[in-house]
Amino acid sequence: MKKKGLWIAVAVVLIVAVLAAIVLIPKLTTKKATEEPVLNIFTWEGYIDYETVIKPFEEETGIKVNYATFASNEEMYEKLSAVNGGDYDIILASDYILNTTREAGLMQKFDTGIVTNLGNLDEGFTHQYFDPDSEYVVPYVSGIPLIVYDPSAVDIEIKGFNDLWNPALKDSLGLIDDARVTIGMVLLSMGQSMNTTDDAVLAEAAEKLAALKDNIHVLEYENLHNYLVSGDVSVAYTFTPFVALALDANPDLKVVWPEEGLGFGIDGCFIPVNAPHAKNANQFLEFLLRPEIAAVCAEWQYYCSPNAAAMEVISDWYKENPVFSGIYDRIGDAEYVKNLSSADEQKFQDIWTTFKLSL
Amino acid sequence: MAHKSRMHAGESRRSAVFVLPMALLAVTLVALPLIYVLGTSLVETGQSFSFGAAFTLDNYRRLLRADYLLVFWESLKLAFLTTLLSFVIGYPFAYCMARAGKRWKSLLMMLVIIPFWTSALVRIYGWKILLQANGPINAVLRGLGLIEKNIKFLGSYGSVLLAMVYCMISFMILPCHSSIDKLDVTLVEAARDLGSKPWRAFLDVTLPLTMPGILAGCVLVFVPSVGIFYLADIMGGGLVLVGNLIRDQLLKVRDWNTGSAMSMVLIFITAGIYLLYRRSGGDDLGVF
Repeated sequence: MKKKGLWIAVAVVLIVAVLAAIVLIPKLTTKKATEEPVLNIFTWEGYIDYETVIKPFEEETGIKVNYATFASNEEMYEKLSAVNGGDYDIILASDYILNTTREAGLMQKFDTGIVTNLGNLDEGFTHQYFDPDSEYVVPYVSGIPLIVYDPSAVDIEIKGFNDLWNPALKDSLGLIDDARVTIGMVLLSMGQSMNTTDDAVLAEAAEKLAALKDNIHVLEYENLHNYLVSGDVSVAYTFTPFVALALDANPDLKVVWPEEGLGFGIDGCFIPVNAPHAKNANQFLEFLLRPEIAAVCAEWQYYCSPNAAAMEVISDWYKENPVFSGIYDRIGDAEYVKNLSSADEQKFQDIWTTFKLSL
Repeated sequence: MAHKSRMHAGESRRSAVFVLPMALLAVTLVALPLIYVLGTSLVETGQSFSFGAAFTLDNYRRLLRADYLLVFWESLKLAFLTTLLSFVIGYPFAYCMARAGKRWKSLLMMLVIIPFWTSALVRIYGWKILLQANGPINAVLRGLGLIEKNIKFLGSYGSVLLAMVYCMISFMILPCHSSIDKLDVTLVEAARDLGSKPWRAFLDVTLPLTMPGILAGCVLVFVPSVGIFYLADIMGGGLVLVGNLIRDQLLKVRDWNTGSAMSMVLIFITAGIYLLYRRSGGDDLGVF
């Protein structure tokens, strides 16, 4: 009994010590950080490469980069709101949450005195809805979900979304397990906006989606390219990097830029309103916009580059890849999946739930 | 509690000193967040839980929809099938393990324990590679001439069930094993001596006497199975389980109140199963 008590006491002391460490250590380090040339980046794991981007930046400027990660845009927004737009200097996130963040007043304008190379960006990617005057966000990469298929396993030629309903594709589709993206695809196939909230149009989309049931083999959010390469599906509608990865593994696959319209997304960087090292952050934005750095980022992340100057210096491999190069011809047809009100978002979720339950 | 009354007053006071910090931790890390979730589920949509907030049951009423009930039903069904299969496969395994010789026993035990050394996620991706259309399992089946066209295992309900059973079966094997191991073999021998056939002796003696282990295993498998959804997602099953519903409610619809109500229902179901288990004379699972 005595021994047991001792162990419990030791365990309690340990737990309390760990908790205290968790609470205190970040405070100590951030306090120290303000005295040094530091840049706190907040984004997804592995989204800015260390060797080719962060390390050269540190060497050139002497600024120490701290890299914190989030798992989802929503998590980023919660955390940034909780610290009232402070703590972080550069945040890299997706278009719709950029819009929410700007509207909530959590962004500050970048300093055009330091960020002098904004002209490197292709005009198709600036002045977007999340930053109409291009004064808050520097686009980092952009993507368009595409159809990719194995012609040896498919009897028809696929040109657009409507071909996915062809009975010849029975039990052979892999689609993205996301209400907005996949119902959005159905809406595009009907010539409607992906962001419609019209009940009649949505009811029609739900009906059209239900007719796709027999052709679907797999629903998954990421990694659909694996199913395509392994032969589990013969057609996939998936995000840019996965289309490119599928093509790497099997060059005989065909990529389709759907004729009816395109989904579209931009991930961009901004400086939070109370960033502790705003000057360093501006320096970093200038660095990211340089053609050779932007080129490396696009190649590394397997996304399309919004940086026109980067396309001049980027590798031939990238330039000749139809997944990456096609965007400049079709950007006019592209549409964002925008954030809707809770009630409208619920409509999409309900259609999706009903559909998945019917599978 | 018999051992408590035997304790000296001093010892019991001392143990209270040690229990206090643990209780504090339990309150801050378990009870407070739960109270917050409960509170959030009881205030109007868009409101956050605070003192003096107006309470409503609307968030719970909103769950009374055919499709949501179907989602809960699907989750319970998957958990039930997982538990059943884990038992059907796990019990004989546990039986052999308990009856095996010393060397075999430790080897079998290793087989049960080793998977815990790596993340379930990594192991499930391993299964995905085995099961894919041009993967090893299809290659073997083709080589044996059993099939002509590759079977598309992935994305099927069976593949989801396989992943679930694979991840959960240890929690069935371990309590069953300890029950069978503790079983007095002479009781089975007595039944056999009195003319009972082997299967009768098993049904009349072994099975009832190892019931505590079976029940504990069922609870340990069933309860987490109701909430897990990432396995179905990884296997491409396209299922909607309660976990998916809660995640989408929180992150996509951004309705934390309804999402909290869903979470509370899930907790009630789990608690209900646990209470049922205790009522039926179940062990404390080492929880209390």
